[in-house]
Amino acid sequence: MAVVDVNAWVGSWPSQSINAGAAEVRGMLKGVGVERIFMAPLDAAWAQNPHLPNDLVYDAAQRWADVHPVPIIDPTIATWKGEVDRAQRHSGVRLVKWLPAYAGYELAAADECAQALVEADLSLMVQTRIEDPRGQHPLAQVPDVPVQEGSDLARRHPELTVVIGGVPWSVIASYADTCRELRNLYFDVSQADGMDSLSVLIHSGMGDQLLYGSHAPLFVPLAGIARIVADVDEVEAAAILGGHAEKLLGLTA
Amino acid sequence: MATLGELRARVLPPCPALDVHVHPLSCFSPYRIESVEQDVRCLREAAQRSGVTKVCVFSLHPTCPREPTVAQCQEANDYVLRMRDLAPDFFLPFCYVNPMYPGESVVEIRRCVGEEGMVGVKLWVSRRATDPGLDPIVGESVAQDVPILQHAWRKTTGNLEGESTPGDVAHLARRHPRARIIMAHLNGCNPRGIEEVADCPNIFIDTSGGDPERGVVELAVARLGARRVLYGSDAPIRHFGVSLAKVLGAELSDSVRRELLWNNAARLLPARAGVGVI
Ligand SMILES: [Zn+2]
Repeated sequence: MAVVDVNAWVGSWPSQSINAGAAEVRGMLKGVGVERIFMAPLDAAWAQNPHLPNDLVYDAAQRWADVHPVPIIDPTIATWKGEVDRAQRHSGVRLVKWLPAYAGYELAAADECAQALVEADLSLMVQTRIEDPRGQHPLAQVPDVPVQEGSDLARRHPELTVVIGGVPWSVIASYADTCRELRNLYFDVSQADGMDSLSVLIHSGMGDQLLYGSHAPLFVPLAGIARIVADVDEVEAAAILGGHAEKLLGLTA
Repeated sequence: MATLGELRARVLPPCPALDVHVHPLSCFSPYRIESVEQDVRCLREAAQRSGVTKVCVFSLHPTCPREPTVAQCQEANDYVLRMRDLAPDFFLPFCYVNPMYPGESVVEIRRCVGEEGMVGVKLWVSRRATDPGLDPIVGESVAQDVPILQHAWRKTTGNLEGESTPGDVAHLARRHPRARIIMAHLNGCNPRGIEEVADCPNIFIDTSGGDPERGVVELAVARLGARRVLYGSDAPIRHFGVSLAKVLGAELSDSVRRELLWNNAARLLPARAGVGVI
């Protein structure tokens, strides 16, 4: 089965002593069987201009055909339209990412940017959490983005594919009804930890809207694979590990 | 392209694995549990799918009360004794006590460990480990020759009243140098917490707590040595296999992994647990 990681990063996270370049991240993901890597720049979270670290992922895509850049788009930066244009022009970009908690905006204020993504035929990941608030550096505390803001955004923009990233599994489970209603809403399961979490989500009818993400290099890449393959049957595992992402993000073999 | 079988093989441990930190599903189930038999079956099947061979189990009572009474601790302990009786080759029961009741806790440890054969003690987070109220409980655990599992966390968002930090657990370990203390939640203790217990040879850290962050298990092994870190999942709150991946995905030799996954727990448990070093 093709394994597609929709939520990988590259770069540094000083409070956890993480600093991994693209070659290292790609190597660790290849080592656990990942074939395609959607990679976003971690340094963007703390950058005054989060667009500048996007060069890192564009450069990585230049070197490796299996790396897809996931540039950060920040609607609070005056030139965000130019950054959407850059993403649209690059054939490897299928998904862009918002970091609303780090840039300090509410999703309700980003509708113009969301519409621009629809017009550019790009999908969106809204990262609601990078780090568990309990373990954050005391002088760098960032609350989670309310998932409801993400689902409201998906409701307002039915043509936009909205992937919510970094959500704990019990919170994902509480969106089963919303997912039935909003077929453009997806969840990455990189932080969906808990015994039988994937089976429970599938049982509640959300299987078609779940995507594998590793959250590497912050997380051990094997962890995200383990929670899927241990508990889920062949068909569902293939879909969550890569099948859904292939369809959604227009990947060909 | 990997098959599902190949991916499954990749996430399994290279040796038997003993999980030192598991709760019954009746405490934290993602679905409805109707009976202790179902609890045993589901927990065991989930563990075995991830390659976990045996587990230390302790109940926090099905209602997880903020202040468990002596009677609630007894009920919790009776429950895990039933689990043990239903699957004695899989469950290693720990006795749950609330340090708010030191005298009653000593009596309960004598019942559960001395008479019923439990193999460890788990303390509720009602009092910080610096509190002398814990001393009779720890003294009895030493007398009964069983390890104590003590919760610890360093929460940026603030600990609960009564919730210990690793520094508090170090205080307890220094007061009781003969006690064998399993400090829970390596990832919750974070790199600062590892240093707070570094000079306490009778503190052993379990790998549970928080997310599967990269590099933390390697750091703990580097700072404390391979004999002071043990595999614990905190299932069912966390996934057995995700927690196991912290150890399997760490840059460690297979012989060090064997210490973390089995031997360190085997050395801490009393002989009657029947868990030998491999
Ligand atoms: Zn626990």
